[in-house]
Amino acid sequence: MFSTGFKYFIGVTVLSVAALIMSLFVLDQFAIAGVAISMLIAVTALLAGIAVVTRDGQTTTATPDSSKELVTQSMWPLVTSIGVVLLALGLVTSALVFFTGLVVVLGALVEWMVQSWSERASKDVNYNALARKRILNPIEFPVLAALGLGVIIYSFSRIMLAVDKSTGALLFILLGSVVLIAGILFVLKPNLNRSLVVAICALGAVGIFATGILSATTGMREELVEAAAEGHFSHAECGPEESKYFDKLAEGNLSLRSSVDATIELADGKLTARVVGFNQPQNSVTIRRATSTNFIFHNLDANEYRLVADLGNRAVAEPDGKTEKNLVCTQLTAQGSEQSLVLTINKPAPVGTSYVLSVPGIEGQTIELVVP
Amino acid sequence: MNHSQRHRNLKNQLASVSLVVVKKYRKISGVALASMLASSCATNAPQDTWQPKGPNAKLIDDLQQPVFAVAGIIGLIVAVAVVYTVIKYKDRGQPIPEQTHGKPALEITLTIIPALILAVVAVFTFGAIFKLAKTDDTEMIINVTGQQWWWEYDYPVQNEFGITQPIISSGQLVMPVGTKVLLRETSRDVIHSYWIPALNGKRDAVPGRVQTLRLEADAPGIFAGQCTEFCGLSHANMRMEAIALSKADFAKWVSNQQAKYVAPAKDSLAQQGEAVFLNQCVRCHQVNGLMRADGTPVIAAPDENVWSGAAPNLSHLMSRNTFAGATFDLLSKQCRDEVWGASSDEIGAKYLAGVSEDCLNQKDLRSWLRNAPEMKPMYANPTQLAATGGKYRGMPYLALSEDDITKLVAYLLTLK
Repeated sequence: MFSTGFKYFIGVTVLSVAALIMSLFVLDQFAIAGVAISMLIAVTALLAGIAVVTRDGQTTTATPDSSKELVTQSMWPLVTSIGVVLLALGLVTSALVFFTGLVVVLGALVEWMVQSWSERASKDVNYNALARKRILNPIEFPVLAALGLGVIIYSFSRIMLAVDKSTGALLFILLGSVVLIAGILFVLKPNLNRSLVVAICALGAVGIFATGILSATTGMREELVEAAAEGHFSHAECGPEESKYFDKLAEGNLSLRSSVDATIELADGKLTARVVGFNQPQNSVTIRRATSTNFIFHNLDANEYRLVADLGNRAVAEPDGKTEKNLVCTQLTAQGSEQSLVLTINKPAPVGTSYVLSVPGIEGQTIELVVP
Repeated sequence: MNHSQRHRNLKNQLASVSLVVVKKYRKISGVALASMLASSCATNAPQDTWQPKGPNAKLIDDLQQPVFAVAGIIGLIVAVAVVYTVIKYKDRGQPIPEQTHGKPALEITLTIIPALILAVVAVFTFGAIFKLAKTDDTEMIINVTGQQWWWEYDYPVQNEFGITQPIISSGQLVMPVGTKVLLRETSRDVIHSYWIPALNGKRDAVPGRVQTLRLEADAPGIFAGQCTEFCGLSHANMRMEAIALSKADFAKWVSNQQAKYVAPAKDSLAQQGEAVFLNQCVRCHQVNGLMRADGTPVIAAPDENVWSGAAPNLSHLMSRNTFAGATFDLLSKQCRDEVWGASSDEIGAKYLAGVSEDCLNQKDLRSWLRNAPEMKPMYANPTQLAATGGKYRGMPYLALSEDDITKLVAYLLTLK
């Protein structure tokens, strides 16, 4: 019969061998990871040998106590060994793997300790199991529930990223309706068979999980892949429109909307500024140095336009002294829509020049930005 | 000795100790109480919230006076009831009276009366809040920007007031009387709060937000204020003053603020001071119109040296009465008293006279230039600037020689 210690160490050894093989494929380099895992294999194999020879350090031959119930089988040596391997792998791969291993090892050790203690609490196996439950269930249930919920939410998010926008909305409505109907059903039928309820919930969870895996392997929908590649969230385009997938909800940012310095309005080919506090439209806006200033561009004209802030020149390659136009702009804005623009200007415009807001395609209309 | 007796003995002992403490500190308590009462009679209390000097502050005052009276009467009734109960039902060994629970009529009455009082207060409070939040009747705009530990004021172009180019100032807010001024407040670093008690309530200056505050003064005068949101080391030194001038005087002030830079006379001490200024101070402080020797205009770069990105613009410094966040006076005590003590009719002329050489508070200005962090606590230790990426919060020690300080003071005196 193999001893517990042997099972633990041989488990670590076997998993480490698997990790070594995987690392050779995944990391495509042997240097650090290979040496570390090989060392781990050697050490744990040695310890496994010692454990089996010495029967876990038991020097006297104990006579089995027939009055004691046999201890139950334990999965915690296996889980701990997986955790240790993750720890080792994490050291050479990523912090995420390392901390996952740490959590697994700590959790398994706690479980293992409490189980060992409870198995010696009395001669009654049922009582021992109850003692273990009373200590660990208050921890296990919330943790497992959170993990389960996390897995379901993550799976669902993969589904939403994979399907197109309209399908996503429908799916959301459908799932919400199913949850609502199921909730109503459970309330109206309190004596519903418990197994049936569990089966329905489990089936739903497994369904979402499986679809989530399928969606993750399919990948995100095309427009999101393109958007990520173009980095359109930076909103720094001023030349020809490069992205057709800009974030149309950028202006919906609540904090920005609630604190606008000026709204720049384009109507009938005229550009005006409505500045907080001024009762009349302005053709210049005084903004503070070194302070972020929030603008909203409101397009009331028929075509799509964007607002461009011309902030003079900026150096691009020191010490060559080369400069380029310093432009900041909104995305193209459709009729009736708004886009936000946040400017921070640290210095006044050089003498003889000025900072201006303009709209390409609308000639002769500018708003001067005055920085005292 | 049973539990009840032990309890009674303990109470008696505590009462004896309390009596001894009260007797021992009777004099101190008396002095403290007298001081508290006497302080309410102070006449020199520039930040007194009970002396409104403008319609917005009056609106608040009209609300707080009756509320304070009602709250005071209720407080008095409660206090008298508590004292009466404590004395009348003091434990004298009498048996514990019968305990009762629930008197619906009394409970409902005691709920409805406060609710009614609060409802009436709420009606007037909401009315006042909406009136104070109005912006559509604004006559003048001033941008107010807080940073550690001073306030910047900039006046956007407003032709109706003769402001044809933006004016930028600090420390003292200058405004015309009888004019609905709207402050557009924000902050460059942490949250500050702007409060001139005589003119209106407080308004927080929050980074990334623009908040408005109405100000209006009935008559010319100087009104003191204080940052009322803890904002770091020198929060207590972040002061402000609002100067209300008659419309004619305000026009003169505007005209002076827009006047072109006048370079110091050739070969004067002030000209040498200008050279020191160009060498040391322009890294952070802007003086509009100041030129370098090669004829290029000087643009200060506080964004490269100061965490908040700004330092006070010193154009027309000597038209102000204070410096370093209104912490110190530019005027000597005698001259300052003359300005602060002037009548409404005279204050404009006295303020517009600015700071002359005779009236300059040389001592504080020289000390400031010698070692600013010693005068006002600031994060100005060059070895401890890691948290701000090597940038200062406040003016650092510049190691100026006494000779340079003399030249600088002569130059600053020309910035009228």
